[in-house]
Amino acid sequence: MAVSKCSRLSGPLIQELLNSVDNFLFDCDGVIWRGDQAIPGAPEVINLLKKNGKRVFFVTNNSTKTREMYAEKMTKLGFQAKTEEVFGTAYCSAVFLKHIAKLDGKVYLIGGNALSKELQKLGIQTVGSGPDPVFGGQSDWADVPLDPEVKAVVVGFDEHFSYMKLTKALKYLNNANCLFVGTNTDTRLPLEGGRAVPGTGCLVRAVETAAQRKAQIIGKPSHFMFDCVVSEYGIDPARTVMVGDRLDTDILLGSNCGLKTLLTLTGVCHLDEATAHQESHCAERTGMVPDYYVETIADLLPALQG
Amino acid sequence: MAVSKCTRLSGPLIQELLDSVDNFLFDCDGVIWRGEQAIPGAPEVTNLLKKNGKRVFFVTNNSTKTREMYAEKMAKLGFLAKTEEVFGTAYCSAVYLKNIAKLDGKVYIIGGNALSKELQKVGIQTVGAGPDPVFGGQSDWADVPLDPEVKAVVVGFDEHFSYMKLSKALKYLDNPDCLFVGTNTDSRLPLEGGRAVPGTGCLVRAVETAAQRKAQIIGKPSHFMFDCVVSEYGIDPARTVMVGDRLDTDILLGFNCGLKTVLTLTGVSNLDEATAYQESQCPERTGMVPDYYVETIADLLPALQG
Repeated sequence: MAVSKCSRLSGPLIQELLNSVDNFLFDCDGVIWRGDQAIPGAPEVINLLKKNGKRVFFVTNNSTKTREMYAEKMTKLGFQAKTEEVFGTAYCSAVFLKHIAKLDGKVYLIGGNALSKELQKLGIQTVGSGPDPVFGGQSDWADVPLDPEVKAVVVGFDEHFSYMKLTKALKYLNNANCLFVGTNTDTRLPLEGGRAVPGTGCLVRAVETAAQRKAQIIGKPSHFMFDCVVSEYGIDPARTVMVGDRLDTDILLGSNCGLKTLLTLTGVCHLDEATAHQESHCAERTGMVPDYYVETIADLLPALQG
Repeated sequence: MAVSKCTRLSGPLIQELLDSVDNFLFDCDGVIWRGEQAIPGAPEVTNLLKKNGKRVFFVTNNSTKTREMYAEKMAKLGFLAKTEEVFGTAYCSAVYLKNIAKLDGKVYIIGGNALSKELQKVGIQTVGAGPDPVFGGQSDWADVPLDPEVKAVVVGFDEHFSYMKLSKALKYLDNPDCLFVGTNTDSRLPLEGGRAVPGTGCLVRAVETAAQRKAQIIGKPSHFMFDCVVSEYGIDPARTVMVGDRLDTDILLGFNCGLKTVLTLTGVSNLDEATAYQESQCPERTGMVPDYYVETIADLLPALQG
């Protein structure tokens, strides 16, 4: 289908796209919901795609929910989705540590309950989550005792992030053999009404700066999350489309993995940013130019209901 | 004095240097002390320099003390130093906001008592210092109320750093007219015995990542701290030497301001790093190659006592 990039998906183009793919990967925040509200029409889109024989998966950088918790939220908002169709970074981080890194030891975790749970489900013990306020003075921070069984530091979203946690992470990571994993580098987490709060990226950067090391990043645009989907479902990239709201994570993942890409404007990125990347003709930025865009994924409804 | 760079300062070379300069700028952490211990011989060095008619100033990126608190610590450790001879980033940040930025409003501060005090001394009110643990859920973080009189966010060393502070800073900085100042970007704070804790740089990077804006940095290698010394004392850069332990802050500051530079090996950087920069012959790295180095500033003693 020879169309130029960044095309508005409308009219017959929608049906052409639907005919050319079997699988849909949807980002969640800013694409199918914002905070705790479904994007209007989004549940209908997902449910109709499945009814029309498409396979639908959810690929999200958000590490604050387990697969089960995501499935629960989806059901509550009217999406028909199964636990095994959701790939969040909490789950994928656990898969990475268990099956790729073959971690034999504990994890020092800067993250929440979901990340803890997904790790524990695969038999990996965690230490450190929850509040950890600073105590004492500089000497106490430098001498804080470590758990000798910790062999990896994992940084995900953590509302209890503190200077004490940063100090402990630094101490563990001073050992070059200690693994360093970050769930994702999104700078902000978009909520309802255009509001946003700081994202995991801020915490990962803080720890990377202290440790003077880069984290292994699980989330988009790293292809690992797509690898997880492929390893569990065996999908054909050429017949798959990634639908997302962020050019530097969703769209770039899609480009890197040979998928078709669709930008929706209900989340973080604006069309201006996409056309700017396109007009730059810069090799590094091509991957962030989507094949198509829609104002909202509800734009697909007419063709699906048709 | 035509010597090649990165020369060991010893023998007659020391007297040559002493004869060619009138002013010494010393970094503190890792140069004259480590944590609460003076580097052996350091008090004698700075006191003898003054006795020999040299002017001695202290230029430190550490924002945890006011000028008075530094003078107190110096007196306690045997250094003869006056309050007005110390230039810390808490004091210089206040000078910047008052005299350069001409701030008319409050500061939301991620920092400690010293930063608060220096700002208040120049008539700038601060909000936000001290513990600020997270409460509620995502919506509460996004809706946290702001003080409408805040016109600047300042990030310094803060052991009470928390996700809640990060959220508030992000909200204030969403307003492009809100100033954004960071005291320094040191990734670590060196303590006694080779230990280190995370530095202000980690916190500044976290806030920069959330706000998607760069902070105006007061500390070395930015020349602002040298500008402060010049504006209060009128010193000649050509007859001034900067003595420090970090290539990317102290030495680079010296280079940028046309000073002679001496690296001491009692702190963060080691000689390998300096020679690596020298051998790289990379224009960006030239500024981080010191003119001279010493194992410790106590190496200057024989020439001073002589």
